Parts: sequence; structure tokens; C-alpha cells
Amino acid sequence: MGSESRLPADRRSVLAALGSGATVFGAGCLQRARNLTGWRSTQPVTFRIKTLPTDADPYALALAREVASWFRAAGIETTVLPMAEQELMRQSLLRTEFELFVMRLPEKFREPDALTTLLHSRFADAPGWQNPFGYTNLDADEAIERQRRSAGAERRSALESLQRTIARTQPFTLLTVPDDIRAARSAAGPNWQATDLRSPVGYLRLAGEYERSGEETVLRVVSTDRRATTNLNPLAVEFRRSGVLTGLLYDPLARRIDGRLTPWLATSIDLVDGDPPAARVTLREDVTWHDDEALTAADVAFTYDLLADTTLGDDDEDAEVPSPEYRGQSSLVDDVAVVDDRRLDVTFADADRGVVGRALTVPILPEHVWRDRTDTAAIGGIPVGTVTEALVSNNIPPVGSGPFAYVRNTPRESLRLERVDGHFSTRETAEFPDWIAEPAVDALSVQVVGSDVTAVETVADGEADVTGTAVGAATVPRIGRSEAAELLVRRSDRPYVLGYNTRRTHLDNPRFRNTLARLVDEQFLGDHVLDGYARPAVGPLQGTEWYPDDLEWDGGNPAVPFFGREGELNVDAAREAFREAGYQYEDGTLVGGGP
Amino acid sequence: MSLLTVLTNVVAVVLVLHLLSLGVVRRLAGRELRRGSLRENVRAVGPTAAVLGVLLVANGAVRDVGVELSWLIGLNITGAIHALEGAFVADLQALATPELTAYFSFVYVFGYVFLLTFPIVLYALHDDTRPLAATLVAYALNYGIGLVCYVLFVAYGPRNFMPGAVESLLFTNWPEVQHLTSRVNENTNVFPSLHTSLSVTVALLAVRYRAAAPGWLPIATVGAASVSVATMYLGIHWLTDVLAGILLAAFSVAVGARVADDEHGDGTDAIGTERAPGAGLEQFRR
Repeated sequence: MGSESRLPADRRSVLAALGSGATVFGAGCLQRARNLTGWRSTQPVTFRIKTLPTDADPYALALAREVASWFRAAGIETTVLPMAEQELMRQSLLRTEFELFVMRLPEKFREPDALTTLLHSRFADAPGWQNPFGYTNLDADEAIERQRRSAGAERRSALESLQRTIARTQPFTLLTVPDDIRAARSAAGPNWQATDLRSPVGYLRLAGEYERSGEETVLRVVSTDRRATTNLNPLAVEFRRSGVLTGLLYDPLARRIDGRLTPWLATSIDLVDGDPPAARVTLREDVTWHDDEALTAADVAFTYDLLADTTLGDDDEDAEVPSPEYRGQSSLVDDVAVVDDRRLDVTFADADRGVVGRALTVPILPEHVWRDRTDTAAIGGIPVGTVTEALVSNNIPPVGSGPFAYVRNTPRESLRLERVDGHFSTRETAEFPDWIAEPAVDALSVQVVGSDVTAVETVADGEADVTGTAVGAATVPRIGRSEAAELLVRRSDRPYVLGYNTRRTHLDNPRFRNTLARLVDEQFLGDHVLDGYARPAVGPLQGTEWYPDDLEWDGGNPAVPFFGREGELNVDAAREAFREAGYQYEDGTLVGGGP
Repeated sequence: MSLLTVLTNVVAVVLVLHLLSLGVVRRLAGRELRRGSLRENVRAVGPTAAVLGVLLVANGAVRDVGVELSWLIGLNITGAIHALEGAFVADLQALATPELTAYFSFVYVFGYVFLLTFPIVLYALHDDTRPLAATLVAYALNYGIGLVCYVLFVAYGPRNFMPGAVESLLFTNWPEVQHLTSRVNENTNVFPSLHTSLSVTVALLAVRYRAAAPGWLPIATVGAASVSVATMYLGIHWLTDVLAGILLAAFSVAVGARVADDEHGDGTDAIGTERAPGAGLEQFRR
């Protein structure tokens, strides 16, 4: 933004003026120079939006360019910079080297308690999807803490107040909520229209309903995201999108099945009301890891310890390095005590029993593999930084306990998982629905292609069963024309957001962000960039029971209404708003920081 | 598999083009191509060919490493290129017709491979070693310098930067071909355009050694021009990439011709050119 170099530049120019004019270096002159350097000169406000190229995401770049054009119309020089998904996440989530980004929020932020790690100021310095915006607001903090400890009407009121606060102060602007469009091969068998491809359980349903063929039956997924072919570490921030594949490789204690949190690796979870609440967890019998080692309660306890601090350091001397990906869940657990091989007692942190269930959804990791990954990560034997091996290991081959096991990968091209014979979920005693208990596929393969069009064609050609990553609206006619493929359109829970780095000048000002948000026409973005396969919304909890009525979309954004109509920015109104916020215009350019 | 189908198609079509062109060139040259010189030529340029071979294999092997390294140390210049040239490619695509798209897609995939392989066959059959040696050296320089640029600069092409304004014409009309292109290249490697630089290299060499194969010159010129335009028309490259590619080609040919003259020139003037005292464009003008 150039603001960092403001002072030195001024000093330089003063020195230059002094030197060039063969000025007499009198005391009066130096006094004047000191006076001058005390004043800042105005600087144009410029931004750069980091986002994904079209190959990686069908809409992100088009959205960013549309936003940039509105910003430019309002006198803010804005450029767009595309980069690979892994790089974008590294720069914006790990290193906070960004001003603005356009990305999709992960699925997990539909759970109200997940907003804790997204927006609480305690996480403003933490890596990953933990407050990447650096947002700090005491009202929001208070509401977040209150919702964690309460239930019913009180929790609702805390969450509504939180959502109103963030709608006004805009740590990020929700651009649009896209529909996920996919192509699926009709003859594959499953009732595609009813499947949910956002979760591992959805894939288990596919595996259960697949049309069995004579020989080996393989569920073939084609994807535009190659990251899973090079990294299968559930804790690696910049490699995970939805966690579907790692969710098939690893088992959590409980999974959400048909909307209900159901014991999975556990046979029973007995919640004990108390202050704080606790649970007695009993694991299933005879569960083994994919390398045939037994899975015991010790592995579960180890996992929670590791997620809370991947160094496993037990003294208070060393800094903790928690897993960013599961910080929300692990922060809900206070202590895990092993009772015997199959039983353990979980003591939760100070939170309501309605909230703590989320803590049971983390992937359970094998102690005998991950115990060695607690040291500081090194390159060629030389430790680099403070991050632990657990967070940066590519974890290939992964040793999990899930219904599918890793077989092989070709980096950037393909990945193959095979069904585990005799997995506990297929035992009669487990009493899961048929589609889990009787899987029809023997293996699952992921093929990586260059763009969404190619992904759709691969399905149309019968060489894949479904596009694992969502494709762009421009491919819809192509899917429609194909005889072998059918079109799947589902509402998604992952909105596109324009994230602000509130640590930067101008963006640290909530009024400025609020005004920026009013330069964005969400309705127009949905209609024109996403061809109508989208709906506008204000907050990430839209469509859930926790969403306040006064934030519902009614022909416009109720919190930060667009300056203009139909995508046409009313420049005068925008300028007026920026002037009111303390900014000025010079030759049509927005400037700040003047005398 | 789709990749295999595409690959087979490319090999078949390029072979046919080779046979056709050999006929045309021989006719235009008005004389038999001399087969006797093949063995001699191969022996003479063996070391150069080996270097090129190693470079090509290394190129494939370190592609992944190059991409990783590129994200670590490379400069993302996508925005700068766009600021420089604006919507030129979008304007070019405004002229799109189905016929042009078909033509340029064909040129980009088949024509390019043909354009690169044919001179090697052609010059290998010629009795002077210099054209072949110059070609191999120039190719090696193109790949080597291109590889370094790809590590130093990260850039996405217009199709990835201006969705809506620029269509990814090649992949929307012919999606299968992406199975092939995504194997041999990365979408961040666009500056400079190696498609352009190698094709223009071929054309400049055809000018330089036109006495060796006069019939080849018009084919190479039209081919190189078509490939250069195709890279932009299809939304894959920026104008900046193409211009940089042309510069790279000029440099590579200048060095290649000089090396060939130094190594293989024996004073006798077998193909009607003489050694140029001056470097630069003089080399191509003759």
C-alpha cells in the first residue's frame, strides 16, 4: 500500500531540496526542515486482491475483477493477482501477506461455534482459518464467549448480536453463496440428486448405492484440485478443502449422519451434565489401523493432546503449536483420561452441552505414527522456524482407520483408495444404515484434470463418475447436451468472501470497510458472474436457525446496501460516504493520511 | 484412455504432415534430398543433440521442482503484464469464428509439433551439418532460457485472468487436449511463450538456411506466424509473452548459427551462405 514508505520518502525529498538549491545550512533552515517532516502528505489508497485463477475456481477471479472495477470507479486503484490455491492459502492464511482476498469460506463455518476461531480476537495472530482477517472487536468477543456457554434463547440472542456486529463492521464481505454444480454419470447407479458430495458420509452413500459391476467396482472422481494427490495430512492447512478424502481415511469418534451426530468410532458416548460437561466414550471392539496395529483409547487421548499442542511439550516453558485446522474443536476439550483400552473420559472446556459435540468430530490419529512428528520441522536436518513436522508432513502414505485405505498416488495426477474389508462400519452389530453397512465399491479413484470443462467432459465420456470439485455455470449447457451425464445443482454452504486484512492501514478502520462493502452489489454478482446459480446473503450463518430476521436479504443488503442499482455504482454517493469517513479525493483518486 | 487417444492423434497427424512436407519441399527444391549425409550429420551433431536430449528430459523431470521453486522465489507478474497490454487478447478474440478457432487449435497442437520436428528431419538429410547443429543449439537455448524464466516469473495467461472477456477457446472446444497439455506444461508458465519462441526459431532458421531447403521457408513462415497468433487467439498467452518469445527466438538463432559456424563451418561454402562478421539481425537478413 505504500504507506510504510511514506516517512522516508518525505525525508528524502526534504534532504534533496536542501541539497539541490545550494541552500545555506543555517539553523533556521534546519528548523524548517524539521517542521516539514512532521507532516504527512496524502497518499492514494490502493489495494491488491489475491485470488485463484479460473482453472482452479470457476468464479473467484471473475468476482475479484468485478469488485476491483467497482473499487476503481470509487477512485481506489485496485488490482487482481491470481495464484495457485496452495499459495493463496499460504500467503493469506499463514503469512497474512495480503490486503484483500477472494476465497470460499470452509464448510465448517456453518456451525455457529466455529465462528469462535474465525472472529475472536484471541485468534487474531493464529495461523490458518483462525481469524485470518486480524479482526478485533470486543463486542464480538463477548458475544462469541456468551454463545459458547449458553443454550436456547440466550444463545440465539448472543449469536444474533454477534452477526449484527460483524455485518456492520465487516471483517469480510460476503460476496455470494454459490450453488455447487456438478456432472455425474447417470448409469453409475446412485440417486445423484439425493447425494451430498460435501462430506465423507456423502461419499459413503455413493459407495453404498453404486451399481456393482462384474469385476472390480471403482467409484471414479475427477477433480480440478490436485492438492490431495501430493498431501493427505488432515492437519495441513493449505492442502485441505473439504476434508472429504481425509475423512474417508480417518475415523472421528462421531460423524454427522443424516443431520444427527452419531457415534462412529465410539459405540457409545454418554454425556454427563455438569460444570463443565464431560463424556464417557466407549470405543468399538477390535478396531485396527490400516497397518494392522490395534486402535486403542490411548490413540484417542494422544490425538486430542496433539491437536492442542503438536509439540506435545508438557511444560509451560515452550510455546504451544496447536493444529490450526482443528483449533475450534480442540479448544472445547479440557482433558482426556484413558480408563482402559476401550474407554476414556473426556472433560470439556467451559461450554454448553449443545456446543461440545463438535469436539468429537476430529480425525483420530495413530500414536505410533504421529508420535515422531512432534519435533520442529526440518529441511535436510536443519530446523526451520517453530512449526512442527505434524503440521507440514505430507503424510503419504497415510495410516488411518477409516473405511477407505490409501493404495497409491501419482503426484498432481491421481490418487487411489481401496475399501477396507471388515471395517467396523460394515459389521452387523454396528447398526448403520444399509448404504454404509453394505458398500458396493471396492475402490475410489481421484483423477486430476486441468479445468472444469475437462472435468465435465471426462464424466460425459464415461471415464469418471462425478466431478468431485464444483464446476462453473458455463459448463451447464455442456452437461445438458451430454447423454451420459446428468446435472447436479445443490445449494452450497461455502460462500465466496472478500476478506480484509484489518491489520493494514485504512482496512483497520471499520467505517472504511463498511463503506467498501457498500461498493459491492451481491445480487449483481450472483446474476451475472454466477449466471444466477447463487443467492445473495449477509452473514455466513444465513439459512440456519441462528440467523436473525433483520439480516435476511430483501431486495438489497439490509446491513450494507449497495451505492447504486443493478451493478451500476452511484459514484457521487460513494465519494460522499468516503468523505464522511474522513477521506478526500484528488483528481478522482481516493487519498488518505493528509494534513 | 483420453490421454492416449490424444497422443496417438498427434503422432499420426504429425507423421502425415511430415510425409506431405517432404514431398513439397523436394518438389520446390527441385532436387533429391541427399540421404547419404544422414549418418555423417548425426555423428557430427551428436554431442549437441545429447545436450538437448538431457535438457528435455531434465525439463520433464524438474517440472514439479521448478513449479515449487517458482512459487518460492518467483515474481508473480500477471498483474504487471495486464497493466502493460490491457485487453489486447480480448480484442483479438472479438474476431473469433468457428473456422478460425478450428484452424488455430489445429495449428497450436499439431502444427506446432510438426513445425518443431520437421526441420530436424529436413536438415539431418542435408549435406551441410550447420543447419542441423544450429537448430539443435537454438532449441536447447530456448528450452534452457525458458525454464529459467518460468522459475523466475509466475504468470497466468489471459484465459485464467480475464474470464468473461477472454475465453479459453482451445479447452472449451477441445477439452480432451487438456489431458495432454496439463501433462507437459503448467498454467503458470506463460512468460515467455515457448510455443512462439520455438516456432519463430524454426522460421528464422529457415530464413538463415533457405538455400538448404528453399521450399521449407514459406511453410515455416506461415506456420510460425500462425502458432504465434494462435497462442493469443486461444487465450493462452499474452502479447507480452509472444514478444518475449520472439526476442528469445532471435537470440537463440543468433547464438545457434554462430556456434554452428564455429563448430562445423569448414570454410567451404556448402549452402551459399558465408560467415557473418556482425551479429544481430544481419544473420537473418541474408
